[in-house]
Amino acid sequence: MGGTNGLSRREFTTIGLGLGLVLVGCSGEGSTGGSGKELVIGASLPLTGQFSQPGQEAERGYRIWREMVNADGGILGRQVQLKITDDASSQDTVVADYTRLITQDRVDFLLGTFSSLLNYPASAVAERQGMVFVEPAGGAENIFTRGFDRLFFAQPALSADQANTFVDWVKSLPEAERPASAAYTTQDDPFTRPVIERLQDLLEDLGIKTVYTSVYPAETTNMQPIAAAIAGRKPELLAHGAVFQDGVGLVRALKQQNFSPKALFQMSAPSNAGQYSKGVGEANTEGVFYSVSWHESAPTPLNKEFVAAYAKEYDNAVPAEDAADAFAAAQVLRAGIEGADGTDQDKVAQWLHGNEVETILGPLKWDKRGAPLGSFLLAQWQSGKVQIVSPEEAATAEKAIYPKPGWS
Amino acid sequence: MAEFVQTLALGLLIGGVYALMASGLTLVFGVMRVINVAQGAFLVLSAFVTWWVWRATGIDPIALAVLTTPLMFGFGWVFYRLVGARLRSAPPSMSVLLMFGVALLIEGLLNVTAGNRYRSATPGYFDESYTLGPISLPKAPLYGFLAALAVLAAFYAVLNRTWTGRAIRAWAQNPSGAALVGVSAVPTATLAFALGTASTGMGGSVLSVLVPFFPASHYEWIARILGIIVLGGLGSLPGALTGALILGLAEALTSVYVSPQWSILVFYGVIMAVLIVRPQGLFGARVREDVAA
Repeated sequence: MGGTNGLSRREFTTIGLGLGLVLVGCSGEGSTGGSGKELVIGASLPLTGQFSQPGQEAERGYRIWREMVNADGGILGRQVQLKITDDASSQDTVVADYTRLITQDRVDFLLGTFSSLLNYPASAVAERQGMVFVEPAGGAENIFTRGFDRLFFAQPALSADQANTFVDWVKSLPEAERPASAAYTTQDDPFTRPVIERLQDLLEDLGIKTVYTSVYPAETTNMQPIAAAIAGRKPELLAHGAVFQDGVGLVRALKQQNFSPKALFQMSAPSNAGQYSKGVGEANTEGVFYSVSWHESAPTPLNKEFVAAYAKEYDNAVPAEDAADAFAAAQVLRAGIEGADGTDQDKVAQWLHGNEVETILGPLKWDKRGAPLGSFLLAQWQSGKVQIVSPEEAATAEKAIYPKPGWS
Repeated sequence: MAEFVQTLALGLLIGGVYALMASGLTLVFGVMRVINVAQGAFLVLSAFVTWWVWRATGIDPIALAVLTTPLMFGFGWVFYRLVGARLRSAPPSMSVLLMFGVALLIEGLLNVTAGNRYRSATPGYFDESYTLGPISLPKAPLYGFLAALAVLAAFYAVLNRTWTGRAIRAWAQNPSGAALVGVSAVPTATLAFALGTASTGMGGSVLSVLVPFFPASHYEWIARILGIIVLGGLGSLPGALTGALILGLAEALTSVYVSPQWSILVFYGVIMAVLIVRPQGLFGARVREDVAA
């Protein structure tokens, strides 16, 4: 037995080596972490599981932004490193991931994950740890009722307001041409349901009679009974709170029922470009309306470069809206850091609350809850392509197709 | 009245397709007492193979079951010989864990090779219907329904009219007794597993036309088909058919006359009600613990 504290020489050496390794480990982390040269931005994304499709698109958006920003000299002279983990579409994992990114990996900043379901708990972790949280998705109203002041949603409006531009377009029609009746169906999802419910209220206020409403579970794969019920009531307008496969499924089932409404508004699904048109058949996309946060040919700063970089990196593909939203979230974060001229989380949050940020989605600004103060664009499939038909200043097509032609 | 008949027709058509999806799972359980939670992943794998070949050749996706069924049979055979056979003496939890791992592996491989995108085979008839008066019968589910009946009839014939089928059933009921009369364990189990996997060939080909799918779609299918075979009685083919038709009808009738929101709840409510009265399911036999081990 060696020393006075009862440790043998071997034990003493072991502890010493261990401490040494811990110190080396810490200094190694520091070189990429908060105090080092690179600016480390952490995010957890649903790269596998239920939300893996938008999750993987968001990852592409983040990575393209990093390449572009690093080529531009980085942020405040620091190159950007991304630390992205997979939350497997699980609420438990996303909480563990963001906790680890903050407390163990000690990242400098955070970017959000995908879906309201995952951003709801993730943003709470960030707020508790005093971190700014810019989320590219997660527009459910209840995310913004918790009194957070470091949370920012990088889309033009909350989910519930998504259909406002569609209502504006209906209002713009001469009264005699407006649809007289409407049917509403939506997936039971915190993102889609409030939009369709709000839309129903607004259209009823315009005097459009509701002839059918339904809410179906997320697990629903068979849309035929819903299509049969809708066809039986023959609404002139159909509004559908779709995610993706349910959107494709309902169009197919409506066609099988030989029923085509005068106007069809769907959420999300039609924004999946080629996957939607292949799923329903390109001719059947004609005249389908949806609201969208971004358009590939929008004349916003950096949008052209983003689309070109995406095409170069990913086999000439057109970016999905989810990739664009992620890119915009990262633009917001960059603007905040540069605006605050440093990495102090409170200062970045304060700057974002007080300023407007130019993004590829257009200019974004927020209320004190972090909810955006803009509005979505109204898009419509025309001749196999997506056009913006409202508001007028952003329109890429002269007029909307109405009434929608029958199925091909 | 027309709406009611239309709803019944749609419910029966989709129920038949569900029966096709569930038949292999119940067969594998009946013979091997293994709950193959990778059955949904096998379905999605077969749907991807169908989609690839359909895109490359233009051959009708449902007709491609002629290709996918033997392919999946071979896959099931090799898989059982290499991996599944090792589970024979392992506790059931190990087989569930292993098959779940296999499902994740298939999902991951499809993610890497096919990409994490929705696919959908769209032959000319995918959104067409036959019209009988006021009733529309969508062609794709109708063809899927007919394919399901053909596969179930083939299964039934093999299990009841051939020596191999009788051997499989004998081994399912009493492995020791079957061994005494010359039914070898490993070849019989291999054949049963391969047949169960082969059903996902036809199932995947039909799936590719009916709904868009992507690598993680298997979670939706395995939950549904597990419910069906529990309702019908684990291991019973007539049970799978009945359970599937009940699910299809419950979904359709509840969707139209109550609310789509209740359709899944009604289905699981039916399962609970049946299991309270008949814990072995509608057609399931009580397992004799003395001979089942």
